[in-house]
Amino acid sequence: MKKHSISLQVNGAVHEITIQPNKTLLDVLRDELNMPETKYGCGTGECGACTVLVDDQKVINSCLTLAATMDGKSITTAAGLQTAEGTLHPVQEAFVENAAVQCGYCTPGMVLKSVGLLKKNPNPSEDEIREWLEGNICRCTGYEKIVTAVQLAGKKIAQADG
Amino acid sequence: MSTRILTEFELLTPNTIPEALSILNEFRDNVIPIAGGTDVLVAMKFGFSTEYAMSISAIPDLDYLSFDPNKGLRIGANATISQILDSKAVKQHYPALWQSAKIFATPQIRNSATLIGNLLRASPAGDCSCAVYALGGSIVLVSQQGEREVDIDDLWISYQNTERRSDELAIELRIPAPEPAGRSAFKRLTRVNEDLAKLNVAVNLVMDGDKCTHARLAMGCVAPTPLRLRATEKLLIGQTLDGSVLKRVMASVKEEINPIDDQRSTAEYRKSVSGVFLRRAIEQACDIS
Amino acid sequence: MTEFRTVGKSEIKIDVKAKVTGRAVYAADINLPGTLHAKIVRCYEHAHAKVKSLDLSEAAKIPGVVKVFAPEDLTTKFYNQSVIDIMVSEDMRGMLGDIEDQKILTDHVKHYGDGIAAIVATTEEAAERAAERIKVEYEPLPVYLNATESSQDGAVQFTPQKPRNMAFELPEPAFPNNTLGWGDADEGFKEADIIVEDNFYTSKQKQAQMEPNSYIALYDDDGLLSCWTSTQMPKSVQPKIAKLFNLPMSRVRIIQTVVGGGFGARLGMVLEPHICALAMALPGHPIKVQSPREEDWLTSPSRHPGDYWMKMGFKKDGTPVACDAKFVNYKGGYYLDGSGVAFTTGGWVSGLYKFGALRYKGESYFTNQPVCGAYRGYGNPQTNFVLEQLVDRACHELKIDPVEWRKKWHKDVGDDGWCAGVPYASCALDEVLDEGAKAIDWKAKREKYAQQTGVKRRGVGVAVMVHTSGAMPMLLEHTVCTVRLNEDATAVVAFACSDMGQGSHTTLRQIAAETLGFPLEDVSLSVGDSNDAGYDIGAHASRTLYVGGGAVMAACKDALKQLLERAATMLEANPDDLEIEDKQIFVKGSPDRKVAASEICSGGVYPFLNPQTGAPDTIPGQILGYSSFNPMHNSPPFGACFVELEVDTETGEIKLIEMVNGHDIGRAINPAVVEGQLEGGAQQGLGMALTEELYFSTDGKVLNNTFTDYKMLGPSDMPKITNVIIENPDPHGPFGAKSVGEAGLVAPVGATANAIYNAIGIQITDLPITPEKILKALNEKHAA
Repeated sequence: MKKHSISLQVNGAVHEITIQPNKTLLDVLRDELNMPETKYGCGTGECGACTVLVDDQKVINSCLTLAATMDGKSITTAAGLQTAEGTLHPVQEAFVENAAVQCGYCTPGMVLKSVGLLKKNPNPSEDEIREWLEGNICRCTGYEKIVTAVQLAGKKIAQADG
Repeated sequence: MSTRILTEFELLTPNTIPEALSILNEFRDNVIPIAGGTDVLVAMKFGFSTEYAMSISAIPDLDYLSFDPNKGLRIGANATISQILDSKAVKQHYPALWQSAKIFATPQIRNSATLIGNLLRASPAGDCSCAVYALGGSIVLVSQQGEREVDIDDLWISYQNTERRSDELAIELRIPAPEPAGRSAFKRLTRVNEDLAKLNVAVNLVMDGDKCTHARLAMGCVAPTPLRLRATEKLLIGQTLDGSVLKRVMASVKEEINPIDDQRSTAEYRKSVSGVFLRRAIEQACDIS
Repeated sequence: MTEFRTVGKSEIKIDVKAKVTGRAVYAADINLPGTLHAKIVRCYEHAHAKVKSLDLSEAAKIPGVVKVFAPEDLTTKFYNQSVIDIMVSEDMRGMLGDIEDQKILTDHVKHYGDGIAAIVATTEEAAERAAERIKVEYEPLPVYLNATESSQDGAVQFTPQKPRNMAFELPEPAFPNNTLGWGDADEGFKEADIIVEDNFYTSKQKQAQMEPNSYIALYDDDGLLSCWTSTQMPKSVQPKIAKLFNLPMSRVRIIQTVVGGGFGARLGMVLEPHICALAMALPGHPIKVQSPREEDWLTSPSRHPGDYWMKMGFKKDGTPVACDAKFVNYKGGYYLDGSGVAFTTGGWVSGLYKFGALRYKGESYFTNQPVCGAYRGYGNPQTNFVLEQLVDRACHELKIDPVEWRKKWHKDVGDDGWCAGVPYASCALDEVLDEGAKAIDWKAKREKYAQQTGVKRRGVGVAVMVHTSGAMPMLLEHTVCTVRLNEDATAVVAFACSDMGQGSHTTLRQIAAETLGFPLEDVSLSVGDSNDAGYDIGAHASRTLYVGGGAVMAACKDALKQLLERAATMLEANPDDLEIEDKQIFVKGSPDRKVAASEICSGGVYPFLNPQTGAPDTIPGQILGYSSFNPMHNSPPFGACFVELEVDTETGEIKLIEMVNGHDIGRAINPAVVEGQLEGGAQQGLGMALTEELYFSTDGKVLNNTFTDYKMLGPSDMPKITNVIIENPDPHGPFGAKSVGEAGLVAPVGATANAIYNAIGIQITDLPITPEKILKALNEKHAA
């Protein structure tokens, strides 16, 4: 297999990397860049544990994305939502405060998915949140506290912006 | 069985359409074009292998969605399902397509998957495929030999097989301009909300007052490819959509479909709800409650 | 009520910041230098076959392959991946017979996905490529997908120790006539005015925890075997691995990583034997295996499916005169804890209602299916589906309100619980039922829905349940805890209790802080490494807060006692007259006579000798509290669930509207944690009722071991949820607490079925209740 050289920005840092064409973005984040916060849950785009934010706007399944096609893109992972000084993103804060986390394996993807929603729709209804969170499976919480955490996060962002 | 690691292949990433066509011309059946890749990558994890994969995502200007009230809708090969969903024109003029995009897979998949990719998958369960089938339209295929437009009615040949030749690239979907009195709707049945359809249906009707003057009906998961319900369409044309017509329509659809038992449902169930579901889609399109 | 400092508060969970940033370290996230990657090669051609030949030569040639392994290249000793063998007494073990029937790699494939070979390579990709080159020839054997098939004459025996492929039945003499219960059921039925009876099928549900199975093992130069795993039971896996590889326990170290969900799937071992065997074969190299998601359905145990028959007799006034029941479950290919669910399923029947007589039989049979074992609720959801539907059928016939009947006939304080001889010490089911009925507006809705016409029919249903807190007296209950007080009067609490996400580390820390009288932030935990803590049987049977909490409380009391004794010496007071507040110890009523806890703790660690006297200035010795705790009870929690839904009678589709999950918690140590357990349990219980089932082709291939086709309720499928948490402190539980982890799943199963019955007057007897089944039943009813 002919390797591909790409430039990938992850959480603000640019990585010039040479990779096999059959590596997914998830493979590269976890194995090449040693950033394990993005999780393998199913590898087929059903569970959302591998969700990342691309170019600060759209969420994708990193398990269904060929890394070699991501040249020049900017990726945000759950770790990248926190500032270097340790301040959590309002969505992360809301998940913490609202006990929206149990085993935590879905959480990085769930947090990024919620960030993706609030960027599109800062004040979503409960139904909109529930529909949007489809594609991210949580087996622990019954989703209840996650949904209310996203509502809380929306309010936090609105307060910070206002 | 499945693997966490994709099979081996060479990846080609053309930056222009001519480059892409040259690749297709050279490798033909040994290359699979990828846009969003959400179907192909899953297939690769379950044993599908290809010598070459060609990603068209680096080709600029193929991610358009444009609407002209006279010419209709033009959708480029890199336009995602999310773009369909974000389009006010689609929502207003092609409700069936918008509704199918709304429930299509998951938000992440919608951000990557393309509409043209969904059509070319030629899956009998494709939600947007079902909607596009009812709306009608054509796919523009280009090769080094030139360009041709294939009517959506002729696109699907058999299960996961299309009219596209291996040296051709599908670059655009064209959907005709909306009829002023046109109405469309899409519905599907699933096990849970986020799911592949066990049955989907799309209707596209043109109404003259109470009377139906034109009808295209499509149903998925009831045949090896998405199915047009041509016999049932005839029962609608020229008719007022009253209870007795709808009853005949419901009876007819059962005769026209040929579903199977699979992981998602049974042939018996699909048959028994097909009529109800078609009726409901018609009612939804025409705001009959 | 006593004022607590931290008990009763929804404290922020300990590990939550690491989880929202993704920094929590799961097994797959660990990369030790020089790691090699393993792949277990599985049989996907057959569900039952003998391996005739296995050719690994081509696989071995793939660049990067370090070694390939046939079954005989690893230990061929039999083992049992569950921990039932170490949880029961020798007498009981004798009754179970020989239950070690698994090998690391097999030449007798007993289910789709059984492991037949292994590969270790420098990369996961090389191992994967090598697996594609393995050549196997099989001799297919008949495939048995239920007990009737596998127990027939002439069927291929799964193991010589279990004739007719019967893995288990309730054994004589502990269970006379192989039955559990009381009274004479046959006589009881003679008094009945009505009898309700039916055959049910309960499905093979999978835990589907979000973290797939990953493990690392290293057999190091000092002969220490270390295994990083997300098992729910590190201290039970340790002796099992030691036994399998003939190592002393001192040479086996189990490091529990952050656990990405368990629900029973990680009870005992899954791939620990495999990864440890490979590590022993390649000393000095860390070996890592990361299973594809699809393998989880095939390798870790699921809920037991089976055929469940039940018959109940009632007098006109509702008196339940007798119950007769039999659950025949399908074990899958191996024994595991084959005795457990066959027993508990009846235990849950016996614990709930005051039947005049009860006779229950439970049997397990091998089948060519992936293994079954523990899954949240352990037989209780199966019982709930059957028992609660039949109760509602009887209530309907007798025209008795289902809530009123349950209030009248459920067992209560003083009655025997799920295990005879352990009477209930607390029960708040009446209050749970009353509050739950109020929250869902039971009476009004039942009346309203009795008058419905139209295509869409609403229904509201109720089910109740009783569960357990720990598994005494049937199984061993034991947790060890140590509490070390640092010189600044902060505490390090060490135990091996697992937090699988349910929040037990947070709640156990609250119990420690409350008991010590220390602020929460002054208590840290030492968890995870099997060598750092004493025994704990592991997370199962909804025991961690109850038994672990008892152990933590006892150890903290021990530490506190030592602290107060030293304070008493220093203050020249009686220890009983002392109180601790803000880490100041003072004589009750004399706030000026005080000493700081830090002064005592510091003095214990730094007992400098006085140059004049030669004696220490302070009382020497670091304070260490200790407990080796065996609970005296199993404090069963009761629960009631109400579900409201809508049935589309033209399509059979079900829309969940609302649910009220009521729970008799005893004391909510952390209310948010309790709510989380109820809400998460509801998702799995509703899913069991409506969508979740692993299913098979006629030749035994699993057809839906993917999230594409194993469907669970998603965020937009879930109904509005209200939790009703009743606090009625139990005399045995820590601060009065009883369990909730498993319980939340149970009653939603029966309540959903009963809501459907209320909506359309039909009871679906096999799980899951799909639109296909509903529509068929509606059509049949219509035709009739």
